[in-house]
Amino acid sequence: MLDLQGVSKHFGGVRAVDGLDLTVARGEILGLIGPNGSGKSTIVNLICGLFPLTSGRIIFDGTDMSDAPIHTRVTCGVARTFQNIRLFGQLTVWQNLWVAQNSGQQRSQNFVRRWFGGSRGAREEIERTLEFFDLAHKCDELAGNLAFGEQRRLEFARALSAKPTLLLLDEPAAGMNAEEIDQLDSRIRKMQQDGITVLLIEHHMELVMSVADRIAVLNFGQKIAEGTPAAVQAHPLVREAYLGTTATA
Amino acid sequence: MDFYLGLLQVIGVHTLLGLSAYCVLLTGQVSLAQAGFFAIGAYVAGIFTVLAHWPLVPALGASAVVTGAVACAVGFPALRVKGLMLVVATIAFGEAVRLFFFNFTYQVQTGTLHLGPHGAEGFRQIRYFPEHGWSTFDVMLFIWTVVAVVMAALWWLDSSRAGAVLRAVGEDELAAQSSGISVTAVKVSAMTIGGVIAGIGGGIFAHYTTHIEHTQFGVGLAAFAIAYPILGGLSNVFGTLLAVIFIQGFLIEGLRFMGDWRNLLFGGLIVLAMNIRPRGLLDAGAVQALKRLLFSNRERSGA
Amino acid sequence: MNLLDLIDAVQSVADGILFGSTYALLGIGFTLIFGVMHKINLSYAAASIGAAYASLLILTVIKAPAILVFLTAAAAGGIIGYLVYLVGFKFIPLANPLATLMSTIGLLLLIDEIIVHMTAGVPLNYPALFSDVTIHVGPFSLRGDLMFVFALGCICMVVLLLVLYRTRLGLATRAVSQQPTASKLCGISTTRVNVLTFVITGVVGGIAGAMTGAAIGMLSPLLALPLTVKGLIVTVIGGLGSIPGAIIAGLVVGGLENAFQFFRGVSERDLYIMLLLFAFLVFRPGGIFAMPAGRD
Repeated sequence: MLDLQGVSKHFGGVRAVDGLDLTVARGEILGLIGPNGSGKSTIVNLICGLFPLTSGRIIFDGTDMSDAPIHTRVTCGVARTFQNIRLFGQLTVWQNLWVAQNSGQQRSQNFVRRWFGGSRGAREEIERTLEFFDLAHKCDELAGNLAFGEQRRLEFARALSAKPTLLLLDEPAAGMNAEEIDQLDSRIRKMQQDGITVLLIEHHMELVMSVADRIAVLNFGQKIAEGTPAAVQAHPLVREAYLGTTATA
Repeated sequence: MDFYLGLLQVIGVHTLLGLSAYCVLLTGQVSLAQAGFFAIGAYVAGIFTVLAHWPLVPALGASAVVTGAVACAVGFPALRVKGLMLVVATIAFGEAVRLFFFNFTYQVQTGTLHLGPHGAEGFRQIRYFPEHGWSTFDVMLFIWTVVAVVMAALWWLDSSRAGAVLRAVGEDELAAQSSGISVTAVKVSAMTIGGVIAGIGGGIFAHYTTHIEHTQFGVGLAAFAIAYPILGGLSNVFGTLLAVIFIQGFLIEGLRFMGDWRNLLFGGLIVLAMNIRPRGLLDAGAVQALKRLLFSNRERSGA
Repeated sequence: MNLLDLIDAVQSVADGILFGSTYALLGIGFTLIFGVMHKINLSYAAASIGAAYASLLILTVIKAPAILVFLTAAAAGGIIGYLVYLVGFKFIPLANPLATLMSTIGLLLLIDEIIVHMTAGVPLNYPALFSDVTIHVGPFSLRGDLMFVFALGCICMVVLLLVLYRTRLGLATRAVSQQPTASKLCGISTTRVNVLTFVITGVVGGIAGAMTGAAIGMLSPLLALPLTVKGLIVTVIGGLGSIPGAIIAGLVVGGLENAFQFFRGVSERDLYIMLLLFAFLVFRPGGIFAMPAGRD
C-alpha cells in the first residue's frame, strides 16, 4: 500500500534518511523502531509531506505522492499524529474533530452543507469517535484545557476524523502509564479490524512487539533489519544498535 | 442630536473596518492592508455614484467586487510572506494604494463643475446623500443595517465549520495542513472576505464624509483597523464592536474632558490595555464567564 | 540624456547613498530586535526621532557643540529604548505576538503625540557638522555634512558588529536569538540580553535620529511614519535578522530613492520603493541575506 523507494533526506551535511526502501502492506501494522536520531520521525514527516524529499519516491496506493502538498495527501487517505501533540488549543474538542473531516468522500459533499451546515452524518461520525476515545463528556471543553492523556486521545481521534486508510502514529505511547498503553494497544488493534493500515513509530518495546505484525529497524537513516517481532529481537545488528558491541581488548 | 448621529455613523463604518481586519486576523495573518482596501472601496463607490450616476447599493456592490478582487490578488503573494514580514508587506501595500490615489486624477465635466478624483486634492462633491434627500438619521440607519447584516453573517460563520477551520489555520498552520485543510484556500478566502467588508465600509465612508483624499487612508487608519479586533478580543465579533465604541467614543467624547491630551492618552491606553489584558477585552475566558452568567440566570428564572 | 544630466544623476545617487546610512542604522535596529526577540518594534523610528528631540534639550541648558548634541541623542536613545522594553515588551507574554505588536503601535502614537505636544507641531532646527564644507571630486561635489553623517554611521555599524561578534555580550545575544530556552539552560539571563538589546538598539536609533536631523537640517514629528515605513522596507529587503543585509539594503534604498526622485519626481518616488519591496517579496521573500530556516 505504501512504498518508499530509495528515499533520502539530507539537511545540509546531515543524512537523516539515506536511501531507504520500505514497504507497508495493506492491512498490516508495521512497527518502526530504532535508536534516537535514526530517522524515524523524519520518515513520518517525509511521508506526510512536511519535508520535501532529497531523492527517491513515495508511492501510495499506486499513485506517486512524492510532490503532493500536505493536505492533498490527507485527502488521499494518509493521516498522522504528532509526537509532541499539536492540537488546536483554542478550539473545543468537538471543533478539533470537526475541522479534520477532510477525506475524499467528505470533500465530495455539497459545499454549503459541508462548510456551513451541520450534516447529520458528520455529527454522528464525530459523536462515534468521541465515544470510542472516551471523550464525549469533554466535547465542549477547549482542547488546551484537557489533561495530557485526554489530549493524546484527542490527537489520535483527530487523525481518524479524516477517515484515513493509512494511519501514521508518531510515538503515541510517550508519557503514558501502563493502563493507558493497554487501551492504546486495543485501539490500534481495532484500527486494524476496521481495515486501516498502521505505521507505528515507537520507543516502547512491549507495545510494538505486542501489536505489530512486522517490524523494521532503522539506524543512522538506514534500514538495518526487517521481519517479525521475534526475528528482529534476535537480529545481531539490532542488538548492536541498541546495546552496543562488546569491546575487543 | 446630529452630533451623536454623526458619532454613530463613524462607529458603524469603523466597525466594518475592524470586522474586515477581524476576518483576516482569525487566520493568523496580521494585515495592515485593510485601510488600502477601504480606500479602494471609497473611491470606486464615489466614482460610480458621482460619475456614472448609479444608485448607492449597486455602487457599493461594485466596491465590494473590485475590492474583493484586489484582496484576492493580494492574498496569494501574502502566503509567501511569513508572520511579521506580512505586517511590513501590508504596510507597504497600504502606502502604495495611498500613493496611487495621491497621483490619481479622473475628472468629468458636468456643466461648470469638474467632478471626480483629483490627485492630492482628493475626491470632492460626493453628494449622493444630500442630493437624494437622505437625512443624517437615514444614513445612520443604513450604516447600522449593513453593520448588523455583516455581523450576523460573521457570527454565523464563526459558529459553523468554516469558522473553526479559519481559527485552526490561525492557530497552527502545520497541524491544519496535516488534518487535510488547504491553508492556501483558507487564507486567500479570508483575505478576500476581509477586503469585501472593507470595500463596502469604504464606499459608505466616502458618501457620508462627501470628500475623501489620500491622507485619510494611511498607516494610521490601518493601525486602527487591527487595533479594534486585537483590543476587542478575537473570540467573537462583539469584541470588535465593543472596542470601536470604546475607542471612538473615547477619542471623540474625550475631547470634551481632555482636549488635546486625548491623543496622548489614547496611545498610553493601548499600551496599558495590552499589558493588562493581552488577549483583548472579550477573550475566550471572558466569553465563557459571560455565558455562564447569562445562562445560569435563565435557569434560575425558569425554575 | 547628456553628460550634465548624467553627472547630476550620479550626484543624486551618491547623496542618496550617503543619506542611506541613516536608513541602514534604522534597519539594523529593527532587524536586531526581530532577531533577538522575534518581535517587530514598530515604535523604533519614532523613538529615534524622539531621542533626537530629547538631545535638543541640552541646547536649552548650555550652548553645546554639535557633537555633544549627537552624543546626547545616543544616550537619550538608550534610555528611551529601555523604557520601550519596560512598557511594551517586558510584561506581555511572549506567546502573544499580537499584543506586543499592538503595544508598539500604541507606543508609536504615544511618542508621536508627546513630540507634537512639546513642540506645538513646529519643526525645529537641528545642528549639523561640516555643513559649510564641500569637497569637490571632479565634477561632483560631496556635501560635508552628508559625509560626516555617513562616516558616523559607518563607525556605528563597525562598533556594533565588533560588539556582536567579538564580545561575550554579542555571543550571548546571538545565542538567545537562536535558542532562547537553551540559552537560559546555559545560564544566560535572557532578560538581561533583551534589555541590553533594546538599550543598544536605542543608542543606535538615537544616533540615526540625530543623523537624520543633521542631514535634513531640521526635525519634525512628520518624520516618524515615513521613517518607520522606510526602515521596515530596508529591514525586509536586507533580510529580517541580518545586520549586513540591513546595511546594504539601507545604502541601496537611499541611493535608489534619490535616483527615482531624479528621474520621476518626488510624488512617484515612494511608489517605486514600494514596487522594489514587492519585487523582493515575490522573488526573494527572505531578503538579501535570508536567515537559514531550521529543521523545526
